[in-house]
Amino acid sequence: MGMHKLLEVSNLSVEFETYGGVVKAVRGVDFSVDAGEVLAIVGESGCGKSVTVQSIMGIIPMPPGKITGGSAKLKGSEILGLDAQAANQFRGKEIGMIFQDPMTSLNPTMTIGAQIAETLKVHRGLSTKQASEIASELLIRTRIPEAQKRLHQYPFEFSGGMLQRAMIAQSLACSPSLLIADEPTTALDVTIQAQILDLLKELQSRDGMAIILITHDLAVVARTAQNVCVMYAGQIVEQGSVDEIFYKSAHPYTLGLKLAMPSNVSQQNKKLEPIPGSPPDLFSPPSGCGYAARCPHAMRICHKENPPLFSDPREPHHAARCWLQAPGAPKTEGLHQLHLIASHGE
Amino acid sequence: MLKYTFGRILSGLVTIWFIATATFLAMHAVPGDPLMNEKATTPEIRENLARKYGLDKPIAEQYVIYLGNMVQGDFGISFTQQNRKVNDIIQDHFPVSAALGILAITFAALGGILWGALTALYRNQLPDIIIMFLVILGISVPSFVFAALGQLLLVNINQWFNISFLPVAGWGTFAHMIVPSLVLGLGTMALLTRLMRSSMLEIVNEDFIRTARAKGLSPSRIFFQHQLRNAILPVVTVLGPQIAAITTGGFVVELVFAIPGLGRYFVQAVQQLDYTVIMGTTVFYGAFLVFMVILVDIIYGFIDPRVRLK
Repeated sequence: MGMHKLLEVSNLSVEFETYGGVVKAVRGVDFSVDAGEVLAIVGESGCGKSVTVQSIMGIIPMPPGKITGGSAKLKGSEILGLDAQAANQFRGKEIGMIFQDPMTSLNPTMTIGAQIAETLKVHRGLSTKQASEIASELLIRTRIPEAQKRLHQYPFEFSGGMLQRAMIAQSLACSPSLLIADEPTTALDVTIQAQILDLLKELQSRDGMAIILITHDLAVVARTAQNVCVMYAGQIVEQGSVDEIFYKSAHPYTLGLKLAMPSNVSQQNKKLEPIPGSPPDLFSPPSGCGYAARCPHAMRICHKENPPLFSDPREPHHAARCWLQAPGAPKTEGLHQLHLIASHGE
Repeated sequence: MLKYTFGRILSGLVTIWFIATATFLAMHAVPGDPLMNEKATTPEIRENLARKYGLDKPIAEQYVIYLGNMVQGDFGISFTQQNRKVNDIIQDHFPVSAALGILAITFAALGGILWGALTALYRNQLPDIIIMFLVILGISVPSFVFAALGQLLLVNINQWFNISFLPVAGWGTFAHMIVPSLVLGLGTMALLTRLMRSSMLEIVNEDFIRTARAKGLSPSRIFFQHQLRNAILPVVTVLGPQIAAITTGGFVVELVFAIPGLGRYFVQAVQQLDYTVIMGTTVFYGAFLVFMVILVDIIYGFIDPRVRLK
């Protein structure tokens, strides 16, 4: 197995057929996850981050959704475009998944215990009794007090944070090698967010499980991830380690996100800078760089041609989809200044 | 749960009292009385009869007497059918209507859930289009048309095979019940199909269905375990009133198929202003409706834990 990455996604493209036309939600996304790695995919609403992972899981509604190209290999074998029966060999077993809103993500008419046990019964052929014993252990592992009692309760008897813990317990039932967390803390309040992230990190470091964390919150990224993909308008615009993304941001969009993020150090004269404009219309994505219209450094070529991912030979894993990073491109004064402002904010 | 049930029964009793009072007032507001027909030929006979039945007393007193008897479970004696007790009429004929109604509602509920789920599964495909077309027919065509058509069909089938495949009319065996109850349940079945379809389509887009798929459950398991049970809830809600509508509304079907149900007496009594029978059947049907609604509420509690524990 050592040869293969745990998950390797290449050139993934997803479209949605709507009344208004075809939305190109994901436009050629490549990334990979190693065993035990925490990868964050960050971006604003509608950038395609959730569609990316839901396509890999085969749970986008099809139609209207359609995977138009690319591949996703789990431990070397293709998992994209499988039928339900084949996909269920890895869903819930090799890859667990949790979602944004735990309140609506569990079946309201089944007990928590039954829902966790269901995964175990289906994938591991356990009896109801065995499954509910393991379910109880899982609730303890995810720090749900009074696990035995909680097992027999329904989702409406849980708080939001507890439900997300139960969701995590459910997704861990078959000890998956990868957990996809699709905005796991967005619907929760801030103190609960921190608890859930700590729990995820703890489980990850103990079980050596890899995590793909989808979020729009840079603070969540900084707290949890090792590597980061920044997504914009259906494409990955920058990828690298957390330090590279935060301290050596190479794409103006990543910088823009950082400037728009409040810091916990109070600063008298630092204002939050929103990124002007809005993301491009994905019904007809621009032929050039998707960010060009909002970018303060846009050059003529940016409007004409979409840049490939450029990387500095010294940091081969850090890449940015920006013409400014092309060999021989002018080093803009502005980008450096932005860097300075942004890093003073840390 | 016990407190909940008790509360429901209490409010049900108040409803029944209200039904009784409203019917009593409405009935007496209709011009004429049960003695208007040919029996009371002379004023003397009329007066004697009025005294015998207590019709000479003031309305308020009649009301109190009536309510007193009703509480003891005595609905009095029919005006038009000599010396026949209303209790006996109900006892003799309600079981017939009830059997027909229960079978009809069973057909309707099973059919509605099955067809509704099927149409949702094949949304916008041929099975969906065909079933939804039939559903619109079922909702808009009145039951007496279906009753007559059903009979015609039976006659033809029986002639074709030259045996009595199923009886065309009458009452007595289970075979007699099949076609009338199908006809009676058809409208409700159509209604429930539509309800079930929209409910299923709503559930498909719920987050917990997405979770179920991400868990790696098979499509059939998702369908039965996660979709169906949640989709049935709105269907169960309307089942109570529908049971009552079917059992009370069955008199047309009963008439066409010559079934000795209570419906006929109910309608006849209104035509003849047979006070005691009107009151007896109305209050009885009212109580039946109230009971069914309570029963459905309790069943609902078993299906949806959120109702049970509130």
